Amino acid sequence: MNPQIIAQLIVIGFTFFMLLNSAAILVYMERKVAAFVQQRYGPYLVGPKGLLQPLADIIKLIMKEELRPKSADAFLFYLAPIISAAAAFSAFAVVPWGADTDFSTLARLLFLDKLFGFKGLEHPIHLAVADVNVGLLVIFSITAMGVYGIVLAGWSSNSKYSLLGALRASAQMISYEISYGLSFAAVIMLAGSLSLGTIVDAQAGYWFGFIPKWYVFIQPLGFLIFLTAGVAETNRAPFDFPEAEQELVAGYHTEYSSMSFAMFFLAEYVNMVTVSAVATDLFLGGWHGPFPLPDGFGWIWFLLKVLALLFFYIWMRWTLPRYRYDQLMEFGWKWLLPAAVLNLLVSAYVALRVNGW
Amino acid sequence: MDALLFWILAAGAVTASVLVIGQRNPMRSVLLLIVSFVALAGLYVLLGSPFAAVIQIIIYTGAIMVLFLFVVMLLNVPTEEIPIGRAARLLGGAAPRRFGAVISAVLALELFWAIGRMTVLNMPGGDVKPTEVHDIGVRLFRDYAFAFEATSVLILVAMVGAVILARKEPR
Repeated sequence: MNPQIIAQLIVIGFTFFMLLNSAAILVYMERKVAAFVQQRYGPYLVGPKGLLQPLADIIKLIMKEELRPKSADAFLFYLAPIISAAAAFSAFAVVPWGADTDFSTLARLLFLDKLFGFKGLEHPIHLAVADVNVGLLVIFSITAMGVYGIVLAGWSSNSKYSLLGALRASAQMISYEISYGLSFAAVIMLAGSLSLGTIVDAQAGYWFGFIPKWYVFIQPLGFLIFLTAGVAETNRAPFDFPEAEQELVAGYHTEYSSMSFAMFFLAEYVNMVTVSAVATDLFLGGWHGPFPLPDGFGWIWFLLKVLALLFFYIWMRWTLPRYRYDQLMEFGWKWLLPAAVLNLLVSAYVALRVNGW
Repeated sequence: MDALLFWILAAGAVTASVLVIGQRNPMRSVLLLIVSFVALAGLYVLLGSPFAAVIQIIIYTGAIMVLFLFVVMLLNVPTEEIPIGRAARLLGGAAPRRFGAVISAVLALELFWAIGRMTVLNMPGGDVKPTEVHDIGVRLFRDYAFAFEATSVLILVAMVGAVILARKEPR
């Protein structure tokens, strides 16, 4: 087979593997940060510094009994977690995590050229599963499909808490999706493209030689709106109404146990990674850092930025209290949406003046 | 490959659409309609218009069908009941059913007749280049700007109408 295709397949497999692992890493990170915020130790018994805790959690979840309420709709009950997890994973497919590379620098540094005679590929390949020319909209549409996982879970469980959680989830996600879309529409106008790869490359270079040309500096309001709407989209605290423990037991996944529950859990963390990765690509320059790294190593910047955003998400969850549900809706429609529209209009005006179409 | 994908997606869309009307459970109907929309989006991709496909998913499956699901969930109709009573006899009795069957048979015949007389038009070129978002934008906001704006006014009017109809009179 063509080495180009093999390399692309390896990249795809690697992306999937890292995405799976990111959930485990995030669980550990979340528990440690939570412990730090609450002045506890957090997990420290399983493995050195509690590093094997996520593994133990997974084994525990697999061992548990798979329960289904008697009155639940069996087919939809088992379909719902699959939709959730599948949507979460497939949304990441169009997110590029590094500049196109032919791996020649990597081969030299790891002595692959001496050991196996691998001198790099003929043509550079995309460091993404697929760089589609309407990538951003694909992410948007798949996120929209993710709502069905939650709604179906809530409805098919045939339990009042699940149903209420699902209703809240769908209302919340539809409301915040609009601000979410409008905030990145401004970036699309500045970059003049819907492909995430092109948008990242539009942010290459520096102003005055040291300030990186990231869109966060031109679009600070857009970035804030994107982050806020992103928290609401991923159902994280302070907007975690679909699973508010004090009111709804566990919301839409009350009736789920064992691996079906694990699927929802996985989906939540993978969604967080996707939102952070998209925010990095759109506003934080993707793989372009404050100073350039050798060719084929830009993904280190990408990883660092995504980790920083994820830390921010976790930090926020354990610092801020939950809003009230009506406050959430009011904030979404009366403050966030007008701000997003205003941001879009101003950006359109500026883009028109600068680019002159 | 393309032909195979076309047949899979087309069969999926048609089967799902037929099943939508064959279901007694409204929840299942809504879900099958979503399957049909997604298959249709796949067909748009095959036609070289990923933009239309993505917009189809965002608007129909992402927004409109969620609202449908919302309504079905809130009403919580488990299954469609077979109607009983006088009104039901008028609509669901033997005579109206036979009449309906005759009408649908006529429709099916008409369809066969029309499809049989169809001539296949030549599509411009085998490899259609993917439609650019920019082209769609120019068409929509420059060439057909009036129709676009008129539609938006129409939708706004419909929205205001819905709000007025749903509003409770203040006492």
